[in-house]
Amino acid sequence: MGEVELSCLAYAKMYLHASQFPRCSVNGLLLSSSPAGGDVCITDCVPLLHTHLSLAPITQLALTQVDAWCSQTHQRIMGYYQANACVSDSSPTPCALKIAEKIFEQCNNAVLLMIDGEKMFPGCRVPPIVMYERKDARWALKDKHTIMLRQWEETCAIVNQLFSSGDQALLVDFDSHLDDITKDWTNQKLNAKIMELISPANGNV
Amino acid sequence: MLSVSEMLKMRDKLRKWREENYRNSEQIVDVGEELLNEHASKLGDDIWIIYEQVMIAALDCSRDDLAWSCLQELKRQFPDSHRVKRLAGMRLEALERYEDANKLYDSILQDDPTNTAARKRKISILRAQGKSSEAIRELNEYLEQFVGDQEAWHELSELYINEHDYAKAAFCLEELMMTNPHNHLYCEQYAEVKYTQGGLENLELARKYFAQALKLNNRNMRALFGLYMSASHIAASPKVSAKVKKDNMKYGAWAASQISRAYQMAGRGKKENKCSVKAVEEMLESMQITMS
Repeated sequence: MGEVELSCLAYAKMYLHASQFPRCSVNGLLLSSSPAGGDVCITDCVPLLHTHLSLAPITQLALTQVDAWCSQTHQRIMGYYQANACVSDSSPTPCALKIAEKIFEQCNNAVLLMIDGEKMFPGCRVPPIVMYERKDARWALKDKHTIMLRQWEETCAIVNQLFSSGDQALLVDFDSHLDDITKDWTNQKLNAKIMELISPANGNV
Repeated sequence: MLSVSEMLKMRDKLRKWREENYRNSEQIVDVGEELLNEHASKLGDDIWIIYEQVMIAALDCSRDDLAWSCLQELKRQFPDSHRVKRLAGMRLEALERYEDANKLYDSILQDDPTNTAARKRKISILRAQGKSSEAIRELNEYLEQFVGDQEAWHELSELYINEHDYAKAAFCLEELMMTNPHNHLYCEQYAEVKYTQGGLENLELARKYFAQALKLNNRNMRALFGLYMSASHIAASPKVSAKVKKDNMKYGAWAASQISRAYQMAGRGKKENKCSVKAVEEMLESMQITMS
């Protein structure tokens, strides 16, 4: 499998999601608006749950709704991310593998992304992520050099800016949406704020 | 400096958070630190329980400086207290000094073998270390002795859910539902576990308990969606009789209309959740097709 690019928008929201619920495992879906085939670019993500990740009903519900939203907005689900509550353990849980497998059935270059909690501290030089791809009927670690995060330092600066302005509290995941359905799990407001911060020179869309 | 009325408001906020067991640690640290630094003299006897509350919140936010100073005040006032010793243990846990923490808890238990707080901290350490099966075993042993401990039953159900042992999670939730028949959250969680277990019988149970959760709290959206999904799946199953199919289509249709209504009300005047409203509508439409 080729290169995978992770956009600033997707990375920022995943990071904020994991930071919003530091005591829970969190998960979400990775989306792409680039056409199928060719290099993969993760352009956005939808934060899903922070409770009971392994129970079926809400996960199924979320997958169906995100699917519906994707077809309306010309995106497709092409991956899954998860951050484990136990910071020292960033290996994929059975639940993560199950969902990733389901996504792989629809998208043959699906990726599974685990957030490495131990690397989530200010000033960390490396992205706190571990990516897996489907190889020989199992999920194998992806070569770090094939994962692109353009303008890494700028992305970090944007995330810090979101924290200092308090905008990280704008993030809504599907669980929070179910607690209050007036909240928007597609995060239009937060997306707009992040896109504003991304400099025109970056070119990440 | 705060006025007296502002100070009293803050003190009352802390009490409310304490009584309702909120884990809003950043807020507690914010409010509590100011209260303790500026107004300690005016807090009366409340001050000790506030020190405890703020200390625990400080540990949650990695504020060891604040936790340490709270602990010192408590140690000075209650030098031989087991309750304070347990707080010292929690601080060691926060510093990941698990062996030292365990030693402290063991010394409490030597003095007082019925000290439930120390036993529960030891189980939390197992959980923090990722030793789920041991945590489960210890928690089961604990519950044989302290069968009425709701918090422990709930913790055990969470552990079982994480281990995908849904049958045992269901058992824990059944205990909780028996002792808390009006708690809609337990009903709804039980229904989710049953749904996850799968199979027609479990789906029917799930539907019944989602319905029960809704009866107890008609604004529980998870229960409403759960009812919709379980009824739809039962109706779509080739193994059910025509009557069961018809009944479940009715339940599903009812749930769908309630969902639509809820989303329409939520969407009123708010441009930003247009997307989520549309997504729900499309989902309801597409599931209608598979049902018929």
